[in-house]
Amino acid sequence: MLARVANNLFWMGRYIERSEHIARYLRVNYFSSLDAPNQLSQSRQFVLRSMLTMIGETVEDESLILNEEDVLYKIGLDPNYTSSIINNVRSSRENANSARDLISTELYESINKFYHFISNYDAKVYSKNGLHDFTLNVTEMSAILRGKVRSTLMHDEIYAIIMMGANIERATQIIRIINAKHNDALKAQGSYGDKFKNSFEWTTLLKCTESYDMMRRFYKKTPNSISTLEFLILNPDCPRSIMNSLNQVCKHIKILDSNKKPSRNSTAFLVGKIRAEYEFKCIVQIENDIQSVIDNTLSSLYQISQKMEEEFFSY
Amino acid sequence: MPLEYSITYKAENTYEEWVYEAYWQFLVIPEENESQQFIGVNFTNTINANNEFSINGHGFKTIRVHPKQKFNEIGFEANFKLIKKEINPFDFKPEEDISRSYEKIQELDFKVDYEAFLRTTHFTHIPEQKTPLFQFDLAKSIFDNIQKLNEYTYGYIHFNADATDVQTTLDEVLKIRQGVCQDFTHLFCALARMNGIPARYVSGYLHQGNGYFGDSQMHAWAEAFIPHVGWLGFDPTNNILAGTNHIKVAHGKDYSDCSPLKGVVYTAGKNETVHSVQVSSQNQQ
Amino acid sequence: MVNLENQIFSSYQRNPVLFDEIFDERGQVKEVYSKLFNLYGEHSINDYVNLNEKAKSSFFNQGITFQVYDKKKTQEKIFPFDLFPRIIPPEEWKIIESGAIQRSRALNLFLWDIYHDKKIIKQGIVPMELISSSANYLDQMNNVDPPGGIYNHISGTDVIKHTDGQYYVLEDNIRCPSGVSYVICNRTALKRALFGVFNHYKTYSVTNYAENLLDLLETVKPKGVDVPNVVVITPGMFNSAFYEHSYLAKTMGVELVEGRDLFVENDFVYMKTIQGPQKVDVIYRRIDDAFIDPLEFRPDSSLGVPGLFAAYKKGNVTLANAPGTGVADDKAVYTYMPEIIRYYLNEEPILNNVHTYHCSRPKELKYVLNNIENLVIKPVDEAGGYGISIGNRLSKKEIEVVKAQILLSPRKYVAQPIMSLSVHPTYIDKSESFEQRHVDLRTFTVLGKDKEFVLKGGLTRVALKRGNLIVNSSQGGGSKDTWVLKT
Repeated sequence: MLARVANNLFWMGRYIERSEHIARYLRVNYFSSLDAPNQLSQSRQFVLRSMLTMIGETVEDESLILNEEDVLYKIGLDPNYTSSIINNVRSSRENANSARDLISTELYESINKFYHFISNYDAKVYSKNGLHDFTLNVTEMSAILRGKVRSTLMHDEIYAIIMMGANIERATQIIRIINAKHNDALKAQGSYGDKFKNSFEWTTLLKCTESYDMMRRFYKKTPNSISTLEFLILNPDCPRSIMNSLNQVCKHIKILDSNKKPSRNSTAFLVGKIRAEYEFKCIVQIENDIQSVIDNTLSSLYQISQKMEEEFFSY
Repeated sequence: MPLEYSITYKAENTYEEWVYEAYWQFLVIPEENESQQFIGVNFTNTINANNEFSINGHGFKTIRVHPKQKFNEIGFEANFKLIKKEINPFDFKPEEDISRSYEKIQELDFKVDYEAFLRTTHFTHIPEQKTPLFQFDLAKSIFDNIQKLNEYTYGYIHFNADATDVQTTLDEVLKIRQGVCQDFTHLFCALARMNGIPARYVSGYLHQGNGYFGDSQMHAWAEAFIPHVGWLGFDPTNNILAGTNHIKVAHGKDYSDCSPLKGVVYTAGKNETVHSVQVSSQNQQ
Repeated sequence: MVNLENQIFSSYQRNPVLFDEIFDERGQVKEVYSKLFNLYGEHSINDYVNLNEKAKSSFFNQGITFQVYDKKKTQEKIFPFDLFPRIIPPEEWKIIESGAIQRSRALNLFLWDIYHDKKIIKQGIVPMELISSSANYLDQMNNVDPPGGIYNHISGTDVIKHTDGQYYVLEDNIRCPSGVSYVICNRTALKRALFGVFNHYKTYSVTNYAENLLDLLETVKPKGVDVPNVVVITPGMFNSAFYEHSYLAKTMGVELVEGRDLFVENDFVYMKTIQGPQKVDVIYRRIDDAFIDPLEFRPDSSLGVPGLFAAYKKGNVTLANAPGTGVADDKAVYTYMPEIIRYYLNEEPILNNVHTYHCSRPKELKYVLNNIENLVIKPVDEAGGYGISIGNRLSKKEIEVVKAQILLSPRKYVAQPIMSLSVHPTYIDKSESFEQRHVDLRTFTVLGKDKEFVLKGGLTRVALKRGNLIVNSSQGGGSKDTWVLKT
């Protein structure tokens, strides 16, 4: 496989995954805030700020009054904002385009349909009353793409590269969502006991990652900071956890690098090392300093991406 | 007595920004021919990139350099050694029957065989003139006429190293009547071709010990095809026939076939290139 | 005006001057089309409008589109596709196929000759100007022997049917002829929309193009290579034919590369893969000569590969089509095609050339001057349709002016009879009905070492504007599925 095309496939995987998380974050936060128990959690300004934090555009100035339609438009359909959903989908299609000879017709057709759906979506309808419909479609179409990747491509190098991209991106988005919600929880504290620990925002966090039902089944208790973070970071069976993503990355790098003993300078070695670190991490360590766990995770994921670039995408 | 030549070609390139990828192709190696033999080549660059020897589309030896790490400064140095036989440019059998030669250049086979060197190119295009610049005297031999043309070109252009550059075409040269070896050669070729004589642009080195025009760069002269004789070298910049002091590298239709350095460099900022050439000789013992 | 019971053809107006491919002079449906005519007649116009919309969105979702750059934003458009197929009966196809092969072989021998001994010029059969004044003649190809002796591996021959019912060649495209992917897409789209009609005809499949292309490319591999590594090189995804490039790579199962994916080392070509460099042996290039190697041709080309030509000249890589092939797809060369075929193959041309009168020849000059109103006058040295006079559109005064011009320098002019392209019923959105539209046919021929192949089908291009003879997609042309019937 060409190094350039591998790079494009990697980013295709990342962009497909990214749009979905952003869309879900918008929907869940917006709609759960409508009847949130806590006044701050209900505040529209609070929700809009949280959305901006999640996509990496934190608004520091507390006195600034944000316009709802502007914020929704910016994150969803603004062609001039590089991180908007429409630009993510456009980028995933562009990357797919350049690797069109390698991916299945079915996958390409679905990406293409997705793109045409988004680019034809009426921006006015969306920011007035289309948020639910729009974001739901984005998440569902992303799920279709994920299915097409799994079921219409050979599980070879091409697939491995896409899955590496998707899983690195998934872990990155989950950790960013955790970061944003951790921020919110510090502000909108609960009404009983340890107010931070019992914030309503932990429930929203789980919903934002589509993990609420799984978590309830697993712990059978109202989520608090510790159980939520343990579940989303360390539980290998939760398909949205950092641990699960790292396991996936580890599995797929072996398809690209089949050395039993990968060299110290390889991506496979780095991935294995980072994975082991999480495998033997315990929640007490995380609880003590949530922020630095978030920062370290982001930097580890970035390192993996950089290493791949060096090893596979540049010649 | 044969001469042993030693030639040094240097190029220094500096770039404002990092260069991540680049290719260069040098057309600077002396041609191996009857009078130029035992050619030794030593080529180095300052960043230890690989130097590859190859042959270009016109059949001349080239050196290609393709660095694999980033850089913002690179120097190239080529050293050539060769033995040049002493040449007497007049040492050929002159045309016996002048009319036979003029008939020859009218033949279709001749025109087809030398078509490339009879063709007008970007650099050998002369804008239409009211009176022809140079016309053959059909009473004289082709060689005599070409020698006249050599003299004519020498007299027409005044040597000035700053008047023109590698982009200059003949319409400009004819206006200012100033230029360098390249311009002399283009005018010579153009006028020879207009008179039906195949002419080609030659690039190479000139040993300047004898006070010839040229600068510390590569030199250019021309070769004209004289029927029943062959290709002969003429240096219109100096109004002489090419001889022992002329070390040929390549020939082509015009400068663009012979430019000593071609490069493809992927970088943002500006760049600067400095070339120099040194030719020295000694009599072979 | 013919009154027909068939409702979707009820408003079809037949201009008797034009050659209609499905109706004869009396307005009767020709036999080969009769089943199709009846089958389409079962649909109402409304059905048809729906099917047409579906076909359009199928192209759109498959991403078979090209981009149009507007001041404000880029727009994606599909090539208009007409659901009423064109049928070529077996006996007519035989002529087209053997004629296309004959032309490709003759052109290949012509190319070999003009890059080697140039006998055809020395013997005065074609003028020297064909090479000396051609921008596409590459001196660098002189005395180069392309692997397998093949220059024009892929040719696209444009054929029309004239009012006399005969096929004529308009052009031989041997630079990078495109359109073959649309032949296959059109077939797929028609199958999706109206699969039932296929049951009534025995039509050749068109999906075997890629495998034949790959087979033939493998016959021209460089010496000493066992199993060649073939790639397709594209200018990139913003090229209007990118879909076709990716389609060909995908169906041949080879890599689609851009110039920046390749590099040359020690005169061998490599591609940059995730496992490091991998040698490349055969390149099907969809980049023009001028851009393939910035060290040898246009220095400002960022599409090509520095050093590629040196590797080619050394025989380490095959380029298809060979560099310098474009010299033979010149208007001037076209006019000598009958002579070229006779000279190299010692055969009579199978397909007609549009006859060309050279005003440089006194007899022909006389004919031209006396028959200007029936001729198209073309200057030999102008490209892109400049300076063309169409005889039947000139006033008496203008004819005199043209005559004077020709007499002034007869060498500069050639003349051809005015050709009329046949018409085919084509569904027109605006009027929601079928109308006569001019069509041509691009056929695709692949030439390998001792092997050749013509795709049994082709791209029928339709000029969608009424009366227009220009079928190019850049001029708003559409296309039709083309059925070559089995005997």
